[in-house]
Amino acid sequence: MSSTEHILREDLELLALGALPEQEAAAAGAHVVSCPECAARLAEARGSAALLAFAAPQDHPAGTVKAELMSRIRASRESERHYAWPSKIEGTRDAKVATKRRRSWWTWLLAPAAVSLAAVSVALYWQNHKMSIELEQQKQAADAVIQNRQEIEKFVSVLAAPDTMTVRLQGMGDAAKSSGMVKFNSKAGMVLYQADLPPLPPDKSYQMWLVPAKGTPIDAGLIGPGGNAWGSMWTGEVPANTEPKAFAVTVEPVGGMPQPTGPKVLVGTT
Amino acid sequence: MTTPITTGETTTDWSLLERVARQDEEALSALYDRYSGLVFSEAKRILRDTGAAEEVLQDLFFQVWRTAAKFEPSRGSLAGWLLVAARNRSISRLRQSSHVEALDESSVSLGVNVESHAAQRLLLEKVRTVMEALPEGQREAVECAYFEGMTHTEIAQKTGQPLGTVKTRIRSAMEALKKVLG
Repeated sequence: MSSTEHILREDLELLALGALPEQEAAAAGAHVVSCPECAARLAEARGSAALLAFAAPQDHPAGTVKAELMSRIRASRESERHYAWPSKIEGTRDAKVATKRRRSWWTWLLAPAAVSLAAVSVALYWQNHKMSIELEQQKQAADAVIQNRQEIEKFVSVLAAPDTMTVRLQGMGDAAKSSGMVKFNSKAGMVLYQADLPPLPPDKSYQMWLVPAKGTPIDAGLIGPGGNAWGSMWTGEVPANTEPKAFAVTVEPVGGMPQPTGPKVLVGTT
Repeated sequence: MTTPITTGETTTDWSLLERVARQDEEALSALYDRYSGLVFSEAKRILRDTGAAEEVLQDLFFQVWRTAAKFEPSRGSLAGWLLVAARNRSISRLRQSSHVEALDESSVSLGVNVESHAAQRLLLEKVRTVMEALPEGQREAVECAYFEGMTHTEIAQKTGQPLGTVKTRIRSAMEALKKVLG
């Protein structure tokens, strides 16, 4: 069939029924597009073919189908209203007014909300920051308490330990009337001592020394500024398992010296 | 050209379509009530599946809702278009094809007013009478074409009849059907 040749009636009926093979149907369809006469005849043939639908056993769809259809339509309308409204009225004066009105409405609603949100955010930030600082301070305080408790437990254990020795210190020279006492535990390397000594000039410190059986004196801490106090006692640490021959206190420059340089004011032998 | 008319108290398809084009849900509801039985029955006959037929029905009326403004009375009757479109959609679904008949693409002149249920019942009776009176070969040929989506070649292969015989049977059956229209 050429594009100018009218479609045969039987082929139109077959075309309307969908019974023409694909290639023939395509050729007939191309002709119909440019031939009003065949298009009209095809419309009639389609109508005749559609009568066959009345030959189908009649039934009814479930009521839910219509309900779903109407819901779908409403959802579609809502969607179109939501997305298409601005473009439909865009460019018109009413549209600009409407847009302006909508902007104003949103602005009035959103601006205070945005300010409030920002204020809340800043407040929350500072509250969080403050809480972080407080938390860190509490943590440091807790660490200090724990450390202090551990030291106390250590001091108490040293004082109560049966192998802790006590050494009495006697005054010498300018501090002849002074006295002192040392508690020493070799295993722990812990030195606890008390001393009743006269005041020193600001540039001087009393320094405790452990004098071992062999070797040079070992620094065991300062009495006064720079020293470690525990209650009425001073504390110092030396290497564990050091066997002392004696304990002595000397007058040294403030802050102490690695080795004794000044005069002895207290001395006690084990 | 079909001139829109109002028969008795029945609102014409065309006036309902105009309202649908203006997003009138009640108008679409009226059209659905008018034709859903016919469309569903046809789709179910082709697909032999109630759920699939209901999907075709719903999709078709949703298309009517979306494209009602494109429909012109000069293109024929809405009922005819609905039935042809439902048939094409069902056949496409049966063959897993994606072809969809657009509302403004096909003209269908049904040649009879079926805008009332009474008119539909009358036509149903007439078509059934004609189909029952058809020789078995003719009835089988047109039903294979319309409800099964078979080409004349496929029908010839299925029935074992020459192609010319199949064409003749189809033409004869269609001539008998046209008599229904008077």
